[in-house]
Amino acid sequence: MATVTNWIDHLSAEEVVGAIYPGAGSTETLLVILGVVFWIGWHVITAKSESEKLSRLAKKRHGANDHKSNITDW
Amino acid sequence: MDDQLGALTVIFTEFYYWVTVVLMFLIHVGFCMYEVGASRYKHHQHTLMKNTMVIPLVTVTWFFFGWWIYWAFPTGPGIAPSIMNESSALITDESTFSAKWYVANTEFMAVNLGDRISGVFWAAFLLFSWTAASIVSGAIIERITTFAFGILAIAIGSCFWVIDAAWGWHFDGWMLKILGYHDAYASGVIHAIAGGFALGVLIVLGPRIGKFSSSGEPRNIGPRNPWLVTVGLFLIYTGFWGFYAACNIPIFDLGPEYGMEGVTYWTATNIYVTPTTLSGITYNFLMSLSGGLLAGYVVAKGDPFWTYSSGLAGIICASAGNDLYHPIQAMLIGAIGVVISYKMHYWVERKFKIDDAVGAVAVHGYAGFVGLVICGFVLNGYPSSGYSVGAMWDGSTYASINPLGQFLGAIIMFGVLGMLPGYVIARILSAFGKLRIPREVEIAGLDYEIMEDDREAEKAVASATR
Repeated sequence: MATVTNWIDHLSAEEVVGAIYPGAGSTETLLVILGVVFWIGWHVITAKSESEKLSRLAKKRHGANDHKSNITDW
Repeated sequence: MDDQLGALTVIFTEFYYWVTVVLMFLIHVGFCMYEVGASRYKHHQHTLMKNTMVIPLVTVTWFFFGWWIYWAFPTGPGIAPSIMNESSALITDESTFSAKWYVANTEFMAVNLGDRISGVFWAAFLLFSWTAASIVSGAIIERITTFAFGILAIAIGSCFWVIDAAWGWHFDGWMLKILGYHDAYASGVIHAIAGGFALGVLIVLGPRIGKFSSSGEPRNIGPRNPWLVTVGLFLIYTGFWGFYAACNIPIFDLGPEYGMEGVTYWTATNIYVTPTTLSGITYNFLMSLSGGLLAGYVVAKGDPFWTYSSGLAGIICASAGNDLYHPIQAMLIGAIGVVISYKMHYWVERKFKIDDAVGAVAVHGYAGFVGLVICGFVLNGYPSSGYSVGAMWDGSTYASINPLGQFLGAIIMFGVLGMLPGYVIARILSAFGKLRIPREVEIAGLDYEIMEDDREAEKAVASATR
């Protein structure tokens, strides 16, 4: 994966290659796909858990001031 | 980077934008504090997390496609030809400022020794994106789902505001050429669009339970923590300094840029690459802040919440032309914007039963809109760009700044790219039952379960220490 293994060789080359991250030139598209999956997955997971939480809470029908009995001292 | 002066210029520019990004981070800190301070106790933690999630959601989508949109869309597409390739299509060719270099899988969207500017410039624009989303966040507190807000934040932060930036902020934008649009520090490009977007969402979302009486009279649900609101707004002011600096190019030789033979003219420029000075915009920033605060104190009768917000509205209103205004012009424009936006807020609230919890539509939307219109009169005749001066509707040259162009620009920002998409997306989310939290949860408080868990934990700790 290492794009640079020797800085002297790298910087003294006739044309210095700019991209120096691991896997430069071969992994970018895969990384974008992984990133998009991670992002969309977050929405899916959190949407599901939020819906469950809201349904659960809605069923209990607490009053507007009931939360005050939950206020902690610390 | 093979001569010292060139290297210093590049690295200074890189560092300059980096500093603006750090400063602008305070805008988001301020928005978080402000929103939590404005919300009721039983919604605090949810309110905070909702706005905090703007950071990752807008950042990753800005990386995946937002930045690309900015560089691809200046031509419309199909409205006016690019000065770089003379085509009206999306700019995706091999030219220097093409979107081709900002696709998420290119080597320039990473550590690259051959490009020391893209990352910090990307980040500066990203912070603008957070701001756009965060403006919307405040207006809709205490009743929207986090899922819906996430979608809306991405829509405004990584899509719609970027389209308007490509059209009206990019040096090659069609609105500059056809309308003579000028908006140096984003009265419209950030604020009017975000305010309009928030209004579009609010129309669908509806007011908080109890905001209006059965006869339709609005009730005041004031900030529950005025000190958090105060510090939050001070931080937004502070971050706004960074925003102003980020809208400039710090050092640029306009001689060769404009094709002036033998002329060298190093200067700071605004985002349109026309000359201004950091010193000059500092005058105007402070004077428009002052004009807003003074006017806000009067119209709000000393109410701290509105007075602080008015300082912000003053800056926002003058921002379109703060690269060129006289400081006293900036002050007066800031004051006018505040009076109009304050009056509009209460008129819209009463007339249309719109519950804008923090006044975001007024402070950002109306003030930004008014600022654009005023700019058209005060800067009437100035060139909207340094590259070429032409007539309105010409399309291949740049029209001068003018009142009609600015008014049309304000409508595009607030209405076409702001309010309309906000309304449509909110309607879609509502149709799927994903927009608003259940009534029972709104009454109980979004933090009910967290607070209940905390109480149980406290009991357990207390019993263990007996």
